[in-house]
Formats: sequence, structure tokens, C-alpha cells
Amino acid sequence: MDTKRICPSCQKPLPPDVPLGLCPECLIKAGFNTGAEAGGENTGFMAPTVEQIAKLFPQLEIIEFIGKGGMGAVYKARQPALDRLVALKILPPRLAGAAGFAERFNREARALARLVHPNIVAVHDFGKAGELHYLVMEFVDGANLREVEIAGRLAPEQALAIVPQICEALQFAHNEGIVHRDIKPENILLDKKGRVKIADFGIAKMLSQTSDQASLTGARGVVGTPHYMAPEQLEKPTTVDHRADIFSLGVVFYEMRTGELPLGKFGAPSTKVLVDVRLDQVVLRALEKEPERRYQHVSQVKTAVETIASTTASGPPQGEALGREVLARDYVLDLGSCLRRGWTLVRSDFWPLVGLTALVLALLAVAGSAGGVVWTNSPGDGSRSGTTSSGASVLALLLFGPLMGGLSLYFLKRIRGEPANVETAFSGFRHRFLHLFLAGFVMSLLTFLGFVCFVLPGIYLAVAWCFTLPLVIDKRLDFWPAMELSRKVVRRHWWKFFCFWLIVLLMNVLGVAFLIVGTFVTATLAMAAAAYAYEDIFGVAGTAASPSSSGVGPSGTKVLPSLLPKQPRSDGGA
Amino acid sequence: MVNTSGATTDPSPASPPSEAGRSSAFAATHWSIVLSAAQSDPTRARDALSKLCQVYWYPLYAYVRWRGHSREDAQDLTQEFFARLLEKNWIGRADREKGRFRSFLLIALKRFLSDEWDKARAQKRGGGAALLPLQFDSAETRWVREPADEATPEQSFEKRWVLTLLEEVLKRLRTEYEQEGNADLFAELNPCLVGDRTSLPYAALAKKLGRSESAVKSAVHRLRQRYRNLLRGEIAQTVADPGEVDEELRHLFAVLAKKG
Repeated sequence: MDTKRICPSCQKPLPPDVPLGLCPECLIKAGFNTGAEAGGENTGFMAPTVEQIAKLFPQLEIIEFIGKGGMGAVYKARQPALDRLVALKILPPRLAGAAGFAERFNREARALARLVHPNIVAVHDFGKAGELHYLVMEFVDGANLREVEIAGRLAPEQALAIVPQICEALQFAHNEGIVHRDIKPENILLDKKGRVKIADFGIAKMLSQTSDQASLTGARGVVGTPHYMAPEQLEKPTTVDHRADIFSLGVVFYEMRTGELPLGKFGAPSTKVLVDVRLDQVVLRALEKEPERRYQHVSQVKTAVETIASTTASGPPQGEALGREVLARDYVLDLGSCLRRGWTLVRSDFWPLVGLTALVLALLAVAGSAGGVVWTNSPGDGSRSGTTSSGASVLALLLFGPLMGGLSLYFLKRIRGEPANVETAFSGFRHRFLHLFLAGFVMSLLTFLGFVCFVLPGIYLAVAWCFTLPLVIDKRLDFWPAMELSRKVVRRHWWKFFCFWLIVLLMNVLGVAFLIVGTFVTATLAMAAAAYAYEDIFGVAGTAASPSSSGVGPSGTKVLPSLLPKQPRSDGGA
Repeated sequence: MVNTSGATTDPSPASPPSEAGRSSAFAATHWSIVLSAAQSDPTRARDALSKLCQVYWYPLYAYVRWRGHSREDAQDLTQEFFARLLEKNWIGRADREKGRFRSFLLIALKRFLSDEWDKARAQKRGGGAALLPLQFDSAETRWVREPADEATPEQSFEKRWVLTLLEEVLKRLRTEYEQEGNADLFAELNPCLVGDRTSLPYAALAKKLGRSESAVKSAVHRLRQRYRNLLRGEIAQTVADPGEVDEELRHLFAVLAKKG
């Protein structure tokens, strides 16, 4: 029997042939000089005693030694003249000998001094005392995020309240051109009033070197704690920019809510703890491996989180929360705009989109018609071919949900500007397969029954459930809540949707009339337009829209905030 | 249990482990000797090269097998490759810019394999040339147990390389502790090599070992530090410039992280 063992530290499965049964990734990670463990290669950094420091800094009253890390030693002190508490940070003396350190130190310290922000630990002074480089910083009376997490005193609402403050601090620093590079719970301080203060800004850069001397941090200036570092910090450190901080923030956020680190194949936060499903999107987007796929500005993260925080009730199931929120916003469906944008998208990337849609539709057609061919070819063998054709139809039903779900996700990703490929289009078989299948099966069954009974119910349901599959795969709703939500949302403007799908049907018929291949083009256009409609209605997190903005929603259509009187504006409707 | 000790032979340790850590900063590493002494002092270069090969030969054998050669052919090819490497001064071909033993070895092996493929392999060569004492039987046993995945042979080679490196380092670390008479301590504490320093079960270990918690903490700290020095030292042996250790570490980390 093959028992898969899991590394207790990073939660990844252990390969069978590992030395001493220890996880190789963690072992390699332990080889980095993280800075959290002092020592490095040659001699350990011995923090000076309080007496030694007091001698070097006669103008300060040294109170006590706070702690030591790879980034230096910190002491609590008092400035008698101003009667305020400060933190005195002494950098490891070994660095003084490094080439170019002094100028780097001065440059970075001056840049840090510009960072005057309520959520950033302020730098009051810096310089060199004897052989030691030092910084005098704001003293924060509280604990760091790590200590709070360990003490188990971090409630979910607090996490949601902390992140926007971090974002503000980071955005401020990024605007000044400063990247932190070492965001981690130890560097996020919380004072007694619950205010967030980010520490050690720029220390990372200060300590990095480009010479090839043996050093505390290594030759190419890689600093940071591996668990929180963005992939590009590890692999291509010269290309690191402010988006690395966004990644680190994502890791911190994930850990705050789930208590675990997002390592290897990690699950979305909603799969681990009871958390708003919209949070998944925020965290996962921040944790994208490629910087281009992440949020491009920390302020976007802040907006997304604040949106979630302001519209989060305490504990209803995800579908209800989403449904209520969407229904509360009286969306306006501008179908002409959706069709136009859909056409622009199709035109811009014609062959891949059409090809992929054609592939999926062809697969469905083959699955559905295989039985039909058998049936017409052997009419005498009624019963046997009957079962064959029903067997093939079941195949089509089986594939319908996941295939169309994957395809709609592909289109959604494309219009969101996220990279998507053939794998995405078939991801319905990997993610949410069960619910996609159930959705496809149940919808088809009930719609069919509706047709058979009185035709009209069938038509109604077919239109009303048009958003089910994207909701299952994109918002991760279960199949029945997705069907219900789609129905409720469409019900409001059922006629508009009916017209939209009627137009789509006519287009496809025209397509068939011209050449079979014409259908593929019109089908692609239909998918694209439907994706834009979906995004207009359901797109919440991950965009720059916020409820208080002046009614311009994602993708540029008008969205009326729930505060305004509920008056549907029907300008521009189809 | 995993049979790692049979796979590499180590008649004499390449260099005393603690020196390897310090030597990365000041003295020459094996690979840097190979590169610099290739022309001027070939014996010394060959010596250093053979020391490196004795540690890392298994990934090469595994690569040859992954390329589809049979067990017997792989044995011959590996031996032949090393014989030529050590005797024919292929070192001159090492690209100075790359600077890493790992990449040099893979490229040389690939070139060798594509050359050898054309020639008839009927006769077994290597008579007279110094053969490395390689344990092919245990190597084959190990190779059979390698997980089958869709990685290319090159990717598998790199993965195997990292694991070989880790095995070597841990073996040296354990030997150090055994020589000091602390074999039991090592056996108890080695799970503490991984993971966050703050979340280790110090209290439980203290109880088990019958020592105070702070004693355990400092023992663990020392263990981790020695491990780190050894790891970095061993990596340093395979790069030309001590400053490249971090880059190589990062590359190795990426190799492991690739397939989750």
C-alpha cells in the first residue's frame, strides 16, 4: 500500500526516497540565510549588551534589549529631551566592512525617512556610532502579528480590518518608489490601539549586496523569508518590483485566515475555514505566480477587501450572501454593449477563441449524435439502437456541464485579462466537476421535462438558468444554489435575456445557413457576450469598482448602488 | 527503509565537513580548482573532479536510464563517461560563464551520449583507466523505485541531484555528530532541521531527552546552523564563485517546487 506522508511544515506530500524522511523543499529552504536566525556563515552576530550600547549612545536612555534577528538587534530607549520612547536598531557590524554599504545605508535611510505615514514605523534618526550602524525608530507598544496569531487572538473581522491598513502603508511606500521586500507577520506590528505599523521597511534593500563577498544575505541581494517571498524574488531577483509585496501580503492574509501557509497545491481559503468566497478571489489573485497576473497596485487589494468587509453579514452561506448583494444592486443589462464588446474580443483573438469554442461544441455534438447515427443506420434494430442513442445522450449530458462550464470560465478569464489556455477550457473536469455535472444534468433534465410538458416552461427555464455553470465554476457555488441564483437574477429582466438568447439562436441558424463553420463564429460571439453580461452582473471582487463609486461598474456598464432608489434605467437595453 | 548509504562510496571524506563551510569563503572549492587548475595542474584538477563525481554519480546513472538505455548499457555508459571525463581533460570545455558543476556535468553527459549512440557499444572499454568505484547494483535498485512522472530526463536529473546533495549533507552531519558521541541526539533532533524555528516542539523534546528546554533550544539552534553551513559548503564545492551559492540554492529550490 502506498501511504503518502506529508511534511509537517509545508504540508506537501513527501517523495518516497527522501533522506531521513525529511521534506527536501524544507531542507533546501533551511539553507537560505533568512535573517530570522542569526549566525550566517562565519561568526554569529553577538548583540551588544545594554551597557555597551548605553556607552555608545549617551544621548539616549537605554531601557532594555527587545530582540535580535538577522536584521540586527533592537533596544527600547528613551529620548530624554523629547521624553518619548524610541526603538534603537543596531545593524550587524560585519556589514560595515562590505563594499558600498555605507552609501547604501545612507541612501535607504534617507528614503525611509520620507515614509511618514500613520501605518509605517517612522525613522527618526540614523548614523554610525563607533563601528555600529544604527537607526532610531518609532517605538511601537504592542505585539507583532505573529505573536497575535500564536496567542490565538485574531478574529476574522480583525483580519479584514488589518489588511486595508497594511495596503495603505504599502501603497504609500510604493508611491515613493520603495518596495518592502520582506513583508511577513513578524514585521507587521499592532499597537495597543489596534493600529497597524509596518516595520523594517527598506532594511532588506539596505542589507543586500552586489559584490561577491560572503555575506549575511548572499550575493545577488536576495533577502526575505522564503515562505513569504514572491517567486520572482527567488528566481529572478533583478526583476522584483512592488508586486512582490502584493504576493507577500497574500501569503500573510492567507495565513491569518486559515492558520496555514499557502504552499504547494494549497486550497482556497473557503475550503479550509468558513470565509466569504469572494475572499478566495482576492487572496488567489494576490498569490499568482506571475506578477502580471496579480493585482497591479496594493490599493486594488484594499478596495476589494473593503468591499467584502462592508458587505459581509455574519455567517450566511456564500450563495445567499452573493445573491443578496447582486440582487440589491439593481444592475442594468446593456445587451447591445455586451454584444459589441463580445465582438471586439472575438475579433481581437479570432482563431484561438473560435477554435476552442468549435472544439468544445464539436465534442458535445459528437457525444450527442453518435447514438443518432447508429439509430438511423440500423432502423430495424429498434430497441438496441434505442438504448445506444440514449447511452450517447447520457454521455453528452455527462460532458455538457463540465465542458460548457470550463468554456465559460475560459471566456471569463479572457475578458478579465487573465491568461487562459486550452487547459482552462477543460478545467471543468478538474475543478468542481461534480457540481458542474450535476448542474448540467439537472438543468437538462428539468428543461427537457418543461418542454415536453408545455413547451413554455422549458423555454423559461432554459433562459433562466443560463448563468448556472459560470456561477458553479467561477464563484464556486453548489449546483442548486447556482441554479436558484441564476434564476432569480434573470427573472428580473427575463424578457431581455430571452431576446438576447433568441438573437443568439437566430445568429446560429444564420451561421448554419451560410456554412456550418459560421455557427462556430456566432457561438463564440454568444459565449463572449454572455461572459460580459455575467461579469457585469456578478463581478464584484478583484476590480476597481466599489459601492460608493459613481455608479460605474466593472466592464464599464452602469451599476446603481443599493443606496439609490430602485429605478431600473433602461437606456441602451436590447 | 531507504538504502542511501550503499549508493555512494566515500573511502575518505572529501574534506572535513566543518572546513567546507569556512572554505567556501576563502579557500578554493573543488569545482573552482577543476576550472582553474585544468591546464596548469591536471592531477590536482582530476583529483578534485573525482571527489565531486563520487558524490554525484547516481543522478547521472539515473539520467542515462531515464533516457531509455538498458541497465547494462547504462552501467557501461556511466563508467565510460567518467573514465573519459577524468582522463581526457574535458574540463577544458567547461564554460566559465555557467560556472556550475551541475550544468557542466549534464551537458557533458548529453554530448557524450549523443556521440556514443553512433558508435557500436559492443566492446567494454575502460581498461587501464582509473575507474570510479561505483555501486551499480544498488543504483539500479534505487532507480527502479524512482517515481514515474511526466518530467523530462533533464528535470528528473536535476531533482535527483538536489536529493543526492541533501543526502550527502545529512550523511556528513550525522557522521559529525556520531564522531562526537552524539548519535542519539542527532537522531532525536533531526526533525527540527525543517520548519519554522518558533514552532518546534521544544517542550516535548526536552522531556524526552531529559534536559531543560533552553538546552534543547540551543542544541537545535546549533544543529540547524551546522546543517546550514554544511549545505552551503557542499553547494559551494560545485560552483566556481562562493557568491553563487545563493543563486544555486534558489535554483535547487525551484527545481523541487516545480511539480509540487
